[in-house]
Amino acid sequence: MDFLINWLANIPGFAVPFALGALGLIICEKSGVLNLGAEGFLLVGAMAGAGAVLTFGGFPLVALGVAALASAALSLIFATLVILLRVNQVISGLTIVFLAQGLTSLIALKQGWTNKAFTGLSSIDLGPLSDIPVIGRIVFSQDLIVYLTVVLFFVSVHMLNKTNAGLRLRAVGENPDAADAAGINVTAYRFVAVLIGALLLGLAGGYLTVVVSKIWVDGLTGGRGWIAIALVIFARWRLWRALAGAVLFGCMEALIPRVAAIGIQVPQYFVLMMPYVVTLAVMVWTSLSRNPATDEPGALGRPFVREERH
Amino acid sequence: MSDIARARRFGRINLEIRDDMPMWKQSLAFLAGVAAGLVISVVILLVSGVGLAALLNEFVVFIFTSPKNISGVLVQAGPLIIVGLSAGIAFKARFWNIGIEGQVIFGAIGATLVAINDIGPPSLRLPLMAFFAALGGMMWILLPTILKLRLRINEIISTLLMNYIAFNFLLHLLYGPWQDPVSSFPHSEQFEDFERLAPLGWQSLNTSLLIAVALVIFCFWFMVKSRFGFQLNFVHSNAQMAKALGVRVAALTLTAALISGALSGLAGFAISAGIESRMTQSFFIGYGFSGILIAFLARNNPLGIVAVSILVATLMIAGQSLQVFYQIPFAMVQLIQAIIVICVAASEFFIRHRVRWVE
Repeated sequence: MDFLINWLANIPGFAVPFALGALGLIICEKSGVLNLGAEGFLLVGAMAGAGAVLTFGGFPLVALGVAALASAALSLIFATLVILLRVNQVISGLTIVFLAQGLTSLIALKQGWTNKAFTGLSSIDLGPLSDIPVIGRIVFSQDLIVYLTVVLFFVSVHMLNKTNAGLRLRAVGENPDAADAAGINVTAYRFVAVLIGALLLGLAGGYLTVVVSKIWVDGLTGGRGWIAIALVIFARWRLWRALAGAVLFGCMEALIPRVAAIGIQVPQYFVLMMPYVVTLAVMVWTSLSRNPATDEPGALGRPFVREERH
Repeated sequence: MSDIARARRFGRINLEIRDDMPMWKQSLAFLAGVAAGLVISVVILLVSGVGLAALLNEFVVFIFTSPKNISGVLVQAGPLIIVGLSAGIAFKARFWNIGIEGQVIFGAIGATLVAINDIGPPSLRLPLMAFFAALGGMMWILLPTILKLRLRINEIISTLLMNYIAFNFLLHLLYGPWQDPVSSFPHSEQFEDFERLAPLGWQSLNTSLLIAVALVIFCFWFMVKSRFGFQLNFVHSNAQMAKALGVRVAALTLTAALISGALSGLAGFAISAGIESRMTQSFFIGYGFSGILIAFLARNNPLGIVAVSILVATLMIAGQSLQVFYQIPFAMVQLIQAIIVICVAASEFFIRHRVRWVE
């Protein structure tokens, strides 16, 4: 029982980076911009978050804001490349990942942030609510960002489906030529979508250092950006499915440190492979599914060139 | 003032699509891109505390005046050329092989498997190692290829996930069954003399460079001159039309992907048997991205790949000495490469578009 409660109580913390990452990716990709730079935005957010805590000597919530802003700053380069200069979106995304790997490693080392532990954001205490047996630990003893993530999902679903701006954003991703003819500024919508996506990805990255690991090491994100991309495909660009998928991955990640603890003998590195193997398996399962309905944006990955409008 | 009046007064930027641009102008734009990337990189290095004189010393004087460093660059260029070819042939078939690092790892695992189990007579040892390396690389690209062809699973993500699986498997081997019995360090035991690529007799050059050159010639013939290469070009420019006209696109993609995997595997062989003389934890780092970058900058042309590889090898060798003397992390090399790609990609905008100021 203890094992189960411990496990369940740890799931939200592991699910949040995937959930925020997938949310950011879906918002960005709904505008038609394929974002393969997710891992890079996570890395920059994670490094900036850790650096901000170490610099300010605390204020973890401010540090999370810095993480989101740092990632958004990097996304200006990405947006300029894919939206203004119409560079191939695959090459641009990959380059952003490698740029971020180099940049985070260089800055963290030069500033002396690497391998330096700090106190980050801790869970909230809701007094009597947190003391309720079982439920208290699982639902009412999380950190603020967990609750914020749920709120952000509600807000995003509303924005994308019920507001003019959200519908226009989806129109831009579905058919930029038609959207342009209807007087929507495709470039502006795509720019903003990339920025919002990067803010959320940066927040997810900051969460990894400021809340989870409380330390920065090179390559800390360990492929979570790529897993988030796979999650979006699994979720077929639908927000609630993405949240469910993130919780599923949270379950698995929260299980990994517990496998050895309860005495199951599996070679360590095979356990560490699991997230990637499971991600592959999930992608296979998604593609085998009988129901091919998807909300994948029709113009995903296609640059918009007004001069070539059909 | 109305919008129209304002536009008349200040003019506006007008973009036109160019149909064609003379070759010399395109080359000029490309070189301008590379130069801009290098200038930005120099600025970053200056900010990081490396003096201008020191940079000039490390990048120009140090490398091009000492035979030791020239040979160092050429030795480094060998595996880079091979991964560049690997990326190039896959990209030609519109297969985004992002899993080069995983395939390099499995190539080295194949070669090391032969070396530490003493499979085959000593005289056949190296060819066997190369064969198993190619096989290992092919094995590691096979699953993503089948998943793409049969289930239309995006190969960018599947090949990338395979990298992480390969890396954890490598750690499993090095911290477990293949740990060096002599030193107990997490790397494989050292290869015997006959399991290493033979020196060519000048500085540190060895036969891995010859292997790279042979593979360039093979790929040039295969990608540019052969029937396969013709069909590959066809698929690259318009896969649907190629299919409609009877090209077997799936078979072609499978062939190109398997060759790409085999090449990456051979790069793993060239690194382990030609540079490190054993399998280590980190021998593969950076080759995946460098391969993609080299193929992109060289536009998948085998001869261009040689030229770009030498540039990247120079960066890597200079990066090693920056790491030792100025505490600049080796990731700086990756950063510089990324900046160059961004600048060159941006410069292509001006090849395809004409920007005009309209009064």
